[in-house]
Amino acid sequence: MSTQEGLQGEVMPSFMGGVPKPSSILKNQRFVLFILLVALVVFFSLKNSQFFAVAEFQSLLIDFSALILIAIAETFVITTGGIDLAVGTTGALAGVVAAHMMQPMVTSHNNQALILLFGTLVAMLVGAIVGAVAALLITVFNLVPFVATLVTYSAGAGLALVFSGGAPVGFNPEASTWSTTGIWIFSWPVMIVIGLVAILGLVLHLTRYGRYNFAIGSNQFAARVAGINVRRHVSSVYVLSGVLAGLTGMFLYIRAGSGSPIAGVTNSANLEAIAAVVIGGVSLVGGVGRLSGVILGAAILTVVSDGLIFINVPPTWIQVVIAGLIALAAVIQTLRRGQRRTT
Amino acid sequence: MSSEAKPVLELQNISKSYGSVQALTDVSFKAYAGEVIGLVGDNGAGKSTLIKVISGAHPQDEGRLIVDGQERHWKSPHDAMNAGIETLYQESGLAPDLTIGSNIYLGREIERKGLLGKLGFLNQKAMEAGAIKHLENVGITVPATKRTVSELSGGQRQAVAIGRAVAWAKHVIILDEPTNHLGARQSQEVLNVIKAAREQGLCVLFISHTLPHVLEVTDRIIVLRLGEVVKDAPTSDFTVESLLGTITGLTV
Repeated sequence: MSTQEGLQGEVMPSFMGGVPKPSSILKNQRFVLFILLVALVVFFSLKNSQFFAVAEFQSLLIDFSALILIAIAETFVITTGGIDLAVGTTGALAGVVAAHMMQPMVTSHNNQALILLFGTLVAMLVGAIVGAVAALLITVFNLVPFVATLVTYSAGAGLALVFSGGAPVGFNPEASTWSTTGIWIFSWPVMIVIGLVAILGLVLHLTRYGRYNFAIGSNQFAARVAGINVRRHVSSVYVLSGVLAGLTGMFLYIRAGSGSPIAGVTNSANLEAIAAVVIGGVSLVGGVGRLSGVILGAAILTVVSDGLIFINVPPTWIQVVIAGLIALAAVIQTLRRGQRRTT
Repeated sequence: MSSEAKPVLELQNISKSYGSVQALTDVSFKAYAGEVIGLVGDNGAGKSTLIKVISGAHPQDEGRLIVDGQERHWKSPHDAMNAGIETLYQESGLAPDLTIGSNIYLGREIERKGLLGKLGFLNQKAMEAGAIKHLENVGITVPATKRTVSELSGGQRQAVAIGRAVAWAKHVIILDEPTNHLGARQSQEVLNVIKAAREQGLCVLFISHTLPHVLEVTDRIIVLRLGEVVKDAPTSDFTVESLLGTITGLTV
């Protein structure tokens, strides 16, 4: 690197063999992502003018909301150096169980808001339980996160089928009207999701909780000797991930008007969440990442998936395009890490 | 030294074994404020075990550990930290992806005032400013504590790590091979930081294989061999040759 001289003398004089410039690549990456997002919207709008319409943006936001909470869940987990393979299936299970529990109320009550609030609490609880199981396997039985969440992934997918008998359950067509009413392009559930995203962003970047997240992902030993209760924090992160997955399950229930056992499997939501995180520039080895990057990553994935359908690209190809995006982002990340090591 | 009468750290007949391996046998010594003590010995002499006992990583089997006049029993390294003993481990105790300021305050974050603070919001500005002050106290000048540790050289990282230990230690800092992997000039800087810590009235336990460094910076040297203290004498009594002889047991 060309920064070995120049800064010398200005910085910790005696210790230095020269200091590398603060890397601006991370910032640049988010800028590049933003440009890419705008370019994609322009591209799809030029190809099909109906893409640039209130109705389409409304549906884009709904699809984005279905992805962003599990992407954020994944961000919290991955920045500690772990991974959660189960966010999609946990969401499906939570949605099915919540739909099941709400069913008697749907037929006997009329207060939708109350019913949905109850369902939301059930979904969060189911998510928290699944997350707690993963946390237990990781922090008490010392399984690596990949294996522990592979267990909760399989269990979640299986239990969702058991509870539902393999078909959507708890039909509640009135619930789905909630996802079409709201203010301008923002439906009520979307507004709640956006509010949650803002809160989670503040928690990750400005609070002690978020600081410990990055500290653990950066150097677990350092975190431990600094007095951080690593086991407790890591456990809480998997429970948080489960809760956010549960909320996503509830969101999908409201959108569809029923709980679907395959919501998390057919849409490969687990992988999309991880893809959004990788595209957003979060390091898969932990310690580094910005939520704004993940938001852009999720937005790009949403626009690409929806846009390709809009310009009549066969859905089978969408996965391939997304694979290309992930590969590109991962290569950039690897190059960046290599660069840092040489300085 | 005014506190000559009362040691800041005292070990009485400390013994420790791992299974059938006797790692420490009847280790006793006293350490005073403003004193730099070299802890030397061959591999397997018991240095690491002794550090672990003092820093709270592993408890001793027998013997008493007295800090500032009070007998202590550590349940974790955090207990030792709270009692004013900071340890610089050979493995890096810094989080490379966090800024210098965040590392200095890791585990001791300053929260914002009022409701935001209660919600866990951090006062990053105060920490960055405090970090600069703490580091300057031991002669380390940092222009940008907002820089991440991963952007620093090995010497700089060690400076930040020692600066942090000195900043928080009330009584004792334990430095395990702090000049390992450092160049000559960077090592010299580390030794200067140790001298600064002594001037602040801290007791420094300096563990090193680099005997010239030990002879340069310490006031007293304790030599361990096979888990026992074989010599405890002022540094002026030693030369590199006699120290090496004592460590290996070829001369006494």
